[in-house]
Amino acid sequence: MTHVGRMALETTPHGLPWRCTAMNRAAVFVCALSLAGCSGVQSALDPAGGDALRIYWLTLIMTLGGTLIFLLVTGLLLYAIFAPPERRAWLGRRRTIVVGGLAFPIVVLSGLLPYGLIVMRDTDVPMPGALQVAVTGEQYWWRVKYPEEGARPEFSTANELIIPVGQPVTVTVTAADVIHSFWIPNLGGKIDMIPGRINRLSFTAERPGIYRGVCAEFCGDQHARMAFDVVALEPAAFDAWRAAQAKPAREPDLPSLVRGRDLFRAAGCGSCHVVRGTEADGAFGPDLTHVGSRRTIGAGQFPNNVGTLAGWIANTQHIKPGVRMPSYGSFTGEELRSLAAYLESLK
Amino acid sequence: MSGRRTGQVLLMLAGLIAWAVQFTIIYAVTSTLCGREWADATIIGVGSVHAVVLLTTIAALGVAALSLLQSRRVHGRLGETAAAPDRFISQAGMLISGLSLVVILWQGIPAFILPACA
Repeated sequence: MTHVGRMALETTPHGLPWRCTAMNRAAVFVCALSLAGCSGVQSALDPAGGDALRIYWLTLIMTLGGTLIFLLVTGLLLYAIFAPPERRAWLGRRRTIVVGGLAFPIVVLSGLLPYGLIVMRDTDVPMPGALQVAVTGEQYWWRVKYPEEGARPEFSTANELIIPVGQPVTVTVTAADVIHSFWIPNLGGKIDMIPGRINRLSFTAERPGIYRGVCAEFCGDQHARMAFDVVALEPAAFDAWRAAQAKPAREPDLPSLVRGRDLFRAAGCGSCHVVRGTEADGAFGPDLTHVGSRRTIGAGQFPNNVGTLAGWIANTQHIKPGVRMPSYGSFTGEELRSLAAYLESLK
Repeated sequence: MSGRRTGQVLLMLAGLIAWAVQFTIIYAVTSTLCGREWADATIIGVGSVHAVVLLTTIAALGVAALSLLQSRRVHGRLGETAAAPDRFISQAGMLISGLSLVVILWQGIPAFILPACA
């Protein structure tokens, strides 16, 4: 969509604003349609698992069915208005009204109701052998906890869900503040995250890949910037990732990283953030033990690197006004670079 | 409105009233049973939520069916010379009762597909 957005700002070789004629508007529309196409990391029209596929077919059947019925009714309406009286008389007969106005809707809705309910039910089936993940929605980020599983210890991460391909995943969701909604369009349906209540959603990713989840319930100013990454890995890669995540944070091994760690301590970042293996044990914000291994920061807003980390620390309230973390604009450039480099080193 | 007309209108709306009562009972009882964690209790071997939905639905269907039969009987007794409002009310009663049978069934179906406290 950014390409389309830029088009509107383009200027002609003469420096004049790009004029939006009807043809240009049509071109932009077609372009937008193609760019917002059916495939992608956040598309319910590109199912990557059986659960999403069931919802996809339900959507398809209801959309196509609804469209056909709309066209039929509109056609009959136009026929009733414009056809000669003797030819349209059958439209007013009792038989037409009973069949078209009563029997047809009853039959269609009697079929759709159980079909929709069965699809709904199948998103909440406890799956044997499912990977358990607990996700809490908070303004405006996602707390993700992988509970202890046999010999595998519990650990937490944030704003990303790493899952194994082919294994069912059961996500239990709740919220810490207001109602959020958990939705990974490529993998399954939406489930509300309600404070004080635990809901459950099961799905299976059937092809490896990177997907994007979003908050689907307006939750405040930055609702639109509350996303998360979903990475479906082959089982062996997932096991390796899980083992790495369970380890404490790595010790800094370069002077600049040591400096960053010291700044992290001195600034009191550990009051809100956990870095396992250090004295930082704050539970208010995201766990940063392996923050450097995440794909994005700011709940799916920026690619994760030293530059974006530094920008985030210095400007949270400019980037996402209303987030709980204040902007730390008092750091010098050198301090920000060290601090961001330290965080980026926490792989 | 005379007592006779009141009776006619009540008969005409009996199916809808049965649906409204069924709707209210199902929602109130299910919310209470699930909220207080009594949903696992059984009545004659059937889960409490399912039992309540089933009994309420059967009762509502019975009322709607009786109203349909009675409306048909009344309509059959009316001759060609009957007043237009009487003919309209009896016809509307048949239609409303028939539709009520359908919506009462629709209202009961989800309980037997979804988990009791979904």
